[in-house]
Amino acid sequence: MRNSNQPNNSIATNLVRPKSIFWLNLGKNWYKFSRNTLSIIGLVIVAGIIISAIFAPWITPYPEHAGPFVDFDNTGQPPSLQHLFGTDNIGRDIFSRVIFAFRGALIMAVLVLAIAVPPGVLLGLIAGYLQNTWIDAVIMRITDIFLSVPPLILALAIATMLKPTLMNAMIAVTVMWWPWYTRLVYGMASSIRNEYFVIAADLTGASKFYILLREILPNCLSPVFTKMALDVGWVILIGASLSFVGLGEQPPIPALGQMVSDGARYMPTFWWMTIFPALAIVLAILGFNLLGDGIRDMLETGVE
Amino acid sequence: MKQVINNEVLKIEKLKKYFHIGKDKKGPIYVRAVDGVTLSIKHGETLGLVGESGSGKSTIAYTVVGMYRPTSGQILFKGKNLGIEASKRPLSSKKEIQIVFQDPGSSLNPRQTIEQILGLPFRIHTQTPKRQLRERMVELLEKVELSPDYLYKSPPSIGGGEKQMVSIARAMASNPSLIVLDEPTSALDVSVQAKIINKLIDLQKEMNLSYLFITHDLSLMRNVADRIAIMYLGKICEVAESVTFFEKPLHPYTQMLISSVPVITEEEENLKPKKVISTGEIPSPVNIPLGCSFHLRCPYKMPVCSEIDPELIDIFPGHTVRCHLYTKENKKTIKE
Amino acid sequence: MKTKENILLNIKDLHVWYRVYGGYLKVLNGVHLMVREGERVGLVGEAGCGKTTTMKSILQILPPGDFYIPRGQIFYKGQDVLKMSFEELQRLRSREIAMIFQDPTAALNPVFTIGNQIGDVIKYSATFEENVHKEKIKTQSIKALKEVYLPDPERMCINYPFQLSGGMRQRVCIAMAISSPRNLILADEPGTSLDVTIQAQIHRLLNELVEKRNTAIILITHSLGVAREMTDRIYVMYAGTIVETATPEILFKNPVHPYTKGLLASVPKISGGGITKGIPGKLPSYLNPPSGCRFRLRCKHEKPICSEKLPKLSEIEKDHSVACYLSER
Repeated sequence: MRNSNQPNNSIATNLVRPKSIFWLNLGKNWYKFSRNTLSIIGLVIVAGIIISAIFAPWITPYPEHAGPFVDFDNTGQPPSLQHLFGTDNIGRDIFSRVIFAFRGALIMAVLVLAIAVPPGVLLGLIAGYLQNTWIDAVIMRITDIFLSVPPLILALAIATMLKPTLMNAMIAVTVMWWPWYTRLVYGMASSIRNEYFVIAADLTGASKFYILLREILPNCLSPVFTKMALDVGWVILIGASLSFVGLGEQPPIPALGQMVSDGARYMPTFWWMTIFPALAIVLAILGFNLLGDGIRDMLETGVE
Repeated sequence: MKQVINNEVLKIEKLKKYFHIGKDKKGPIYVRAVDGVTLSIKHGETLGLVGESGSGKSTIAYTVVGMYRPTSGQILFKGKNLGIEASKRPLSSKKEIQIVFQDPGSSLNPRQTIEQILGLPFRIHTQTPKRQLRERMVELLEKVELSPDYLYKSPPSIGGGEKQMVSIARAMASNPSLIVLDEPTSALDVSVQAKIINKLIDLQKEMNLSYLFITHDLSLMRNVADRIAIMYLGKICEVAESVTFFEKPLHPYTQMLISSVPVITEEEENLKPKKVISTGEIPSPVNIPLGCSFHLRCPYKMPVCSEIDPELIDIFPGHTVRCHLYTKENKKTIKE
Repeated sequence: MKTKENILLNIKDLHVWYRVYGGYLKVLNGVHLMVREGERVGLVGEAGCGKTTTMKSILQILPPGDFYIPRGQIFYKGQDVLKMSFEELQRLRSREIAMIFQDPTAALNPVFTIGNQIGDVIKYSATFEENVHKEKIKTQSIKALKEVYLPDPERMCINYPFQLSGGMRQRVCIAMAISSPRNLILADEPGTSLDVTIQAQIHRLLNELVEKRNTAIILITHSLGVAREMTDRIYVMYAGTIVETATPEILFKNPVHPYTKGLLASVPKISGGGITKGIPGKLPSYLNPPSGCRFRLRCKHEKPICSEKLPKLSEIEKDHSVACYLSER
């Protein structure tokens, strides 16, 4: 029986709704993501890499090989059941080292993106919203300057100037990573600001901050997230390129590029020393690429 | 009969809006979207603005609301001059004048929920405390016949008609005096349109609103507007009360438009003026011909029409026409 | 109207489903439609009722992989389209049936000239018979453009779509459809995105062309007024079923199905009188459509039998069929 003194009870019922909507959205998103089998493959690869990297000390067969360790009796062993990827020139198990190397690679990717993306997006947002003003010109010309320098060379230059450590390699990569996001968001923001819903918000009297952050930004984010997923793979590659020439994680801590470089001089006889770390890089990029495609499919707003 | 109070809520005087699009040998080129328009809307009234694309009707709407700055002329809202862009207008005028756009798809932010969309005008223009906000929003949704669970929905998951209802609710949220409706139902089906138009009329009576209603659909206009103004290439051709507009259309362009409306009853068919076939394309507002802008398509063209632009004349009280056929010299006998 | 008695197109009990999250969208639920040679047929219905899906099914241009046809037949000149081989379908699309789409801007490729695009249509429509010379293609293109009253056809051929207005683009699409002799044209709301006077011109043009060539035409529209002026017979569609069909005179004077009545009442009239409140409710979900008649949830006259069986389209007088239990006594 409804108590006539109470308001319509609609508020109470409203409060219950959000949870079920959350699950409904999750289901819908998963459906959109899983339409393409490749996206699921990407998800599996990425999940595999991340989980094995996190639990490396416990799941690798020879965790101590990722630190200072030598075993001159077992150098140059080809792939076998004890050593899935074989051993390297000082007897360390390559499989374990690859898994550990992913730790550094992933940390680098996450930190680089966490630091580079927000400012890049913010700058693009502001420049796009204020298109055709001097602010736009200043921001985009600076962006253009950074984009005109070949990324790897810039990273090498910076990494060489500073000491060769993982931290400095990350700084180098971060510095050249943000402009891509600025460009990306700039294009979207400058077209979204002309949409009717943005105009409507403006005409109602919303502040510029509200429009930037609440109206425009949410509509720019799907390509940003997609790009971030793809970029993890690319940061890993750039990181490997840097460690290939000796900049980045220093031995004995394993780094993928460094392992490729070390093993290169033993080609082709001891092929496993180079090939497996290289394949690991390829697998990572592939996995994140496929995952990125899936994320893009998932974030599309069409008619539902 | 609607209560139409005689104060004017909006008066546009000699409004001009030119867009600068480049230069040629003779000087700068302008698109003369609105070229000297004078109109007024009273409290509680619906003024219909009819025209084809390029006529300037949407430009007037956007200038009134503040999206454009007038090139010259005045916009008086409740007596106060508002002729500047929205960003320079006082907040109170933003509360009082609202707009509903044509395209339901892009009028609402697809990444927000209805709650967030409606929350914006509530937060800015009313002092509703947070606790009551949801309640007020539910009330507003009920006014447009949407159930409370719409608060949690997002625009992509609701239909076009419902989106327009949300746009209308958003426009009503700040309790405005004037709502500009730019072809609000053109993208919708006829049965959905009927529902929305009825709702708009009900809300108008309830809240004593004035509407500036823009559409190209003449039969809709007949049933919605109290007075109708028809525009061609930036100028007004004829203004009359709804009934008169259809029973005694004076301007040849008006006759042309009414005669090409597809109707579904014999009764309406008999009401239409004899079929005036329009030839040729609609000229662009960049190259407006000299003299009367309509003369190139007019079946009653006279020599004077290509030389002098006619003035807006009062034929009967409340019925004005801009056409050489009706000047004192050329008074044509009007068919009964 | 010269209508021969031969039946050109006969859609029987067509069901089309789309695969989506959560199951299938059962869009078409038993569509019956028939077109005779030279006849002008109107398909009227609101957004989402399945008109475009029906048209696309005739030409089999539904998005591949995502749709499923559990039941139904589409007979064109006696042959079932749904069972045609790829070559037969190609022949159907290039020689027999042409389609004019709703948005002329989207239907024309912006990077090719008009002459190029019409030329392509002519080239491919002749593929199975003879190799057509460039010269012949050019003459035929210009002839087609002349028939749609486009000024200066020679110059039009080297123009790009962006140089034309909306009305002109729609005429080009029509020219493409009539550039070689066809038996049936499917026109999906031509002129909807254009101004009223231009729309009237386009409709008049279509009428003229169809009469001259004795081509049959299915005109999709959501405007009853347009259907009244431009067709010999009208099919009213709701939620994937045909609910009523009659000649315009009969349909507007004596509508029987509650949906048709509601629709007619919702149309604003220039004689005034206000607008009714429309039809209560909204389109049913295609994912879980109601059993039996799909209109029943919005219908004042719902009876128990309406939820049990889908009412069949049955003739209640000459040239007038309805799918509703109201009309059965």
